[in-house]
Amino acid sequence: MTRILFSDKLDNCVTRWQSAGFTVMGPVSKDTFSSYATVEHASDFDLGIVLPDRSLKELFFPQTEPLLRYTIKQQVINTEDFNPPSGKRLIFGVRPCDAAGLSIDDPLFGWDYKDEYWFQRRNDSVIVTIACTKADDFCLCTSLKLAPDSTNGSDILLRPLENNSGWQVEELTDRGREAFLTIAEFLQEASEPTAPIAVVPEMFNLDTCVAWLQNPENFESKFWKDISMRCIGCGSCTYLCPTCHCFDIQDEGDTYSGIRRKNWDSCSFALFTMHTSGHNPRSTQSARWRQRIMHKFNYFPGKFNVNSCSGCGRCSRQCPVDMGITETLQKISTLHS
Amino acid sequence: MKIVGRHDEAPGVKTLRLEFQDPDDHEQFKKTFRTGMFGLYGVYGEGESTFCVASPETRKEYIECTFRQSGRVTSALANADIGDLITFRGPYGNRFPIENFQGKNLLFVSGGIALPPTRSVIWSCLDQREKFGKVTIVYGARTVADLVYKHELEEWQNRSDIDLVLTVDPGGESPDWTHKVGFVPTVLEDAAPSPENCIAIICGPPIMIKFTLISLKKLGFDETNVYTTLENRMKCGVGKCGRCNVGSVYVCKEGPVFTAAEVSCMPAADL
Repeated sequence: MTRILFSDKLDNCVTRWQSAGFTVMGPVSKDTFSSYATVEHASDFDLGIVLPDRSLKELFFPQTEPLLRYTIKQQVINTEDFNPPSGKRLIFGVRPCDAAGLSIDDPLFGWDYKDEYWFQRRNDSVIVTIACTKADDFCLCTSLKLAPDSTNGSDILLRPLENNSGWQVEELTDRGREAFLTIAEFLQEASEPTAPIAVVPEMFNLDTCVAWLQNPENFESKFWKDISMRCIGCGSCTYLCPTCHCFDIQDEGDTYSGIRRKNWDSCSFALFTMHTSGHNPRSTQSARWRQRIMHKFNYFPGKFNVNSCSGCGRCSRQCPVDMGITETLQKISTLHS
Repeated sequence: MKIVGRHDEAPGVKTLRLEFQDPDDHEQFKKTFRTGMFGLYGVYGEGESTFCVASPETRKEYIECTFRQSGRVTSALANADIGDLITFRGPYGNRFPIENFQGKNLLFVSGGIALPPTRSVIWSCLDQREKFGKVTIVYGARTVADLVYKHELEEWQNRSDIDLVLTVDPGGESPDWTHKVGFVPTVLEDAAPSPENCIAIICGPPIMIKFTLISLKKLGFDETNVYTTLENRMKCGVGKCGRCNVGSVYVCKEGPVFTAAEVSCMPAADL
């Protein structure tokens, strides 16, 4: 006997969570794209998609975020910080790769200076993940040593039932337990078989790739030029990535008043590293793609002990020129290190 | 920070002297600032730019920064007047461990607009001159006009306890130029300072650093006795925004000061 949340009770749960003070969010499909967004009712969720087009990252690290407001009057500067928005949130129907993305970035936002905007939202959010029972050709979590039912970054893991009538509930953290206490009356003890998790074939051997990347001789390999020849530097892969965290800081306003903002930026952009002098340490697209791959699978794990990729496959799925991490690592795994 | 001094160093290059407005901020700066660290200087409405603190750790009543007017932020800073307020975030990064240089000879090699970070170390050492051995400064710029801190170069020139070697690139000399003509690495090799008990501190454009490291090697300097500072583009200064990385190194946190031995472990193509 395990605890089951039947789908027909989901709307009751949403209402209950809302009255308990949670903003309830989850995968929502709009005309042109799907993303994690706030919902009113359970019917707003789109739980049938493999995963939303946009990753969960933006609910924790928005594309643009105000840091402070400045006003200057008669040589007196006044600044007012924007405090990180607070308020309990429950994000339902998260994909395991997206949840894992959050725990991957925690050490980055936490080392030395603690990014209060990130951690305020992290502490305020309950992540209710649903294990994947379907995948598409781009999914690659298993290649990253994760799985369609990984629990990294989740507070609750729901396993879909075989007959698709609901989910088996696995409580992973106190935060998750607390949130599910409020809906205890809608849960049922039952023994229902769960559906098998999605089959995600391993696309490459990660250890082989990492060994190749770690070999300094390969840094200037011709491979990098070949693989990135068709990259147009649009940055889509980095924006859609659940773990890419690069940002810019820009002022929006004039001499008298305005807002200083933190905006997403991308290592794919030519100006990203350009010096004032015109010197650019990563002056070619191949150097920039190499940086992205190296950062994710060599530098980042070297620092934080975890790969900066959770295998969602968005970079390949939505690349306008059909590149991506999968293709690059697949090819690397066939090279001799 | 209030601008209390403003000086034209070279065409398009200015130095600002800044004073803290908040005594607590000043106390904090006094406690933490060491030579080699950098800060983000900003003008609201324009943004922030990263430069080193060009003043030494022995003079903490103010901050000086020297920059070339080039983009939006540096133009706003260049146009700011005495009495105007600008922002400063920092000091960030690591430092030159000058206490380990005590009793040693010092060789400073610098090019163009890269004298400011070197100058912070130079004055930090000159202000306690007795603790160090021979001091040699090799400094070059494209043209005579491009030399920065001309008044200080003159002062160093006139001091008997400093060997100053000045040079300009071929074609950059003026009719009354009495110093060297040639690129910094070549002039350095000609000056041939002894690597014996000597620490080298070099800063310049990437191309100058590259060839100066080769020259120092030729002269017999050990890579662990050569220090440089990598001034990459930065936005956050606290190891998050992702643009200053060279290989696995976050220049803003683990640098900007590195020994040549550390630099040689970095992927050269990304420098």
